[in-house]
Amino acid sequence: MLKIEGLVKSYNKGEIRAVDNIGLEVRDGEIFGFLGPNGAGKTTTIKMIVGLLRPDEGEILLDGINVWEDPMKAKSMISYVPDNPEIYDRLRGIEYLNFIGDMYGIPTEERNEKAMQLTKTFNIEDSLDDIISSYSHGMKQKLVLTAALMSNPDLFILDEPMVGLDPKSAFNLKEIMRTMCNEGKSVFFSTHVMEVAEKLCDRIAIINKGKIIAMGTMEELRKTAQEKESLENIFLELTENE
Amino acid sequence: MNNKLLSLIRTDLNITFGLSSIAYNLKNKKKLLPMAMIGLAIISLLPSYLLMIRALGSFYDAFRQIGQQSYFLHVGIMSAQMIVFVLGMMYVMSKYYFSNDLPQLVPLPIKPSQIVGSKFVSLMVSEYLTSLPIILPFIVIYGRGGNEGLPYWIMSLITVVTLPILPLVLASVLIMVFMKYTNIKSKKDLIRVISAVFFIIFIIFVQIKINQLTSQNLMESESFMFNLARDANLLLNQIGIAFPTAMWGALALSNGFSPSGILYILLFAGTGVVGYVLMILLAERIFFDGLIGNIEVSARKGRGRTGDSAGRIRAGNPIITMAKKELLMIFKTPVYLMNSVGGVIILPVLLAISMLTGGEAYEPMKDMIMENREVLVLGSIGIIASFGILNSLGATTFSREGTNMWIQRTLPIRPKVQIVGRTLSSISLQVLGGLLLVGGIYFIVPLRIHEVIIILLFGVCASIPLTMIGMAVDILRPMTGWTNPQQAMKQNLNVIISMAIGTLFIFGAGFLGYILLPNYGIWTILGVYAVIIVTATGLLYKLLENMISSKFINME
Repeated sequence: MLKIEGLVKSYNKGEIRAVDNIGLEVRDGEIFGFLGPNGAGKTTTIKMIVGLLRPDEGEILLDGINVWEDPMKAKSMISYVPDNPEIYDRLRGIEYLNFIGDMYGIPTEERNEKAMQLTKTFNIEDSLDDIISSYSHGMKQKLVLTAALMSNPDLFILDEPMVGLDPKSAFNLKEIMRTMCNEGKSVFFSTHVMEVAEKLCDRIAIINKGKIIAMGTMEELRKTAQEKESLENIFLELTENE
Repeated sequence: MNNKLLSLIRTDLNITFGLSSIAYNLKNKKKLLPMAMIGLAIISLLPSYLLMIRALGSFYDAFRQIGQQSYFLHVGIMSAQMIVFVLGMMYVMSKYYFSNDLPQLVPLPIKPSQIVGSKFVSLMVSEYLTSLPIILPFIVIYGRGGNEGLPYWIMSLITVVTLPILPLVLASVLIMVFMKYTNIKSKKDLIRVISAVFFIIFIIFVQIKINQLTSQNLMESESFMFNLARDANLLLNQIGIAFPTAMWGALALSNGFSPSGILYILLFAGTGVVGYVLMILLAERIFFDGLIGNIEVSARKGRGRTGDSAGRIRAGNPIITMAKKELLMIFKTPVYLMNSVGGVIILPVLLAISMLTGGEAYEPMKDMIMENREVLVLGSIGIIASFGILNSLGATTFSREGTNMWIQRTLPIRPKVQIVGRTLSSISLQVLGGLLLVGGIYFIVPLRIHEVIIILLFGVCASIPLTMIGMAVDILRPMTGWTNPQQAMKQNLNVIISMAIGTLFIFGAGFLGYILLPNYGIWTILGVYAVIIVTATGLLYKLLENMISSKFINME
């Protein structure tokens, strides 16, 4: 599904390498967790995948489509949920959903069905007529999630998706991710919550100082670290060694 | 001044003027071209500014003839204070109550007076940009004309520095009281927009008064400047009641270091300082009353129309959706609404009212219009076309996205949807302005139906390339880092740059019409205009298509 090769992004004329020659692959039907300490390069990588930051070097391919050469095609396959849900505060929830739906060209019936089901799952169906600025952080997050899932993306990309969600919604989101993967879609998300990554992800990559320092299934990661109890220990050991 | 206030002022100035980002860009040699363009845009305004200064010179001579030079200074100080006051009302509203930093500032352990105090100082610095270009020519012309010595220039410096304080204090007090008492749950936006409309009508009224005064003097063209100077004195005495300090400022300057001069400068600067202190005390008591309610947004929270939502989630044409979204954002953001709708409504209303109230002064003009209907038609087309620039929508369309820009950039939106959708939203305002204009003209000169159609059709079509010029400028240097919506529209240089280019376009087309009209008639000119409009629209569309595709990818 997603293939990244030799990805580089630097700032200050190359002095700071936020992302330093990374490569990874997210397969069809896979949930891929992207872990790393603050400032490791997670958001920069995600922004390059979704078209918000142009890479200095490297390739990002979505089913063979270069996201920077054919952005329209790539974007119609992706849905993105940022870490901070900054959205049009002065629109109503329903207006925002319709706006996103029209941009993806989602037919009425499909949109209706999806939106109703998702807003019910996230418990925001009664707030759709309210102006978005009246939403809490978590409600905005749920609205962005609903809008992103409405297009039934092939690749669902989320930056710290669990932040701000109540436990029930977080549980529901994990269920949705799993269902998507069962349908052959892929999920790529960054997180700080080790437990979520450990229980949910098929494969994990750990990034530190712009470089991927470990990648694989939980089993494979356990083999690379001396402490083998939990992902948290593996993470701490790997990032401390760097 | 305590550390908190200093720190607040420093941060606010930094955010307002983007100091850190300018320093960063200069250091990293980033965005040098856009910065050079800003310089060019400012330089391009110089010729008209110099013309204005020359006219002021004659105005000074007229005052001198009647031995009332100090009134010349009075006019200058009062004009600067009036403009600072009028603009200040809008700036204060937006900066005190709609800035993005407010939700972060309110929870901090700082007093409301410190928030207002810091925002006031930052606003005052912005207002120097408005007041200095107005007051400096008055002071320099007076000083040079009367060969004034050092005391005059020292007094001038104090006057110039303290000039914006009082009008800004007045604006702050009025807005704070206004926001406190209009903080009525769900209706507050509506109340505020209606009040703004009344305010605009008041400004128009003052404008008409000045217009009448000028037109009466024009009729007695023998000694225009002399009469204008004499009548300006009368007008000043009338309006002067609102700003008695302008008189003190003028008297301080004309009396220099004499005891009365010093007394007047103390009065002038002192009232400002006392006003500031009183305003700060008032802020401590009422600022949060208006602000907290403003941050609150009413919601039905669970009492929404669940059943209805299902039916209202439906597919639409992406272009229309984009236009609708743009219009919704404009109509739901009072600052956008005032600036954009104001831009297209004020001109027709002003034109109609001043024609109606101008009395006999306009009779020759009306006769002239009746005899030159083609000029009227072509002129009206030009005015409607200019709405494409005046409503500022094209030139701020991408800037207005602000921090929401990520949505546009991550969605699969074709450039066609961006261009046509955004242009359509602007056109709807041009149509509104066009209808008002035609209505206004119809009131004075009965138009024939085919003239109405030609004016509206050509005017609206000609506004399309002008809107697109604004969009091209905006996509080249979108200003998305704003912290309050006022910055996206009022402090966005893209508006000025596109106005400069748009003016060239309109004047070029007007000049062409002027040359062709005597020999070829209006139909030929309309034919030429049609070709220009179609070609310009086509070329700009292609240009925008390329710019959007590449800029949406390369923006960081």
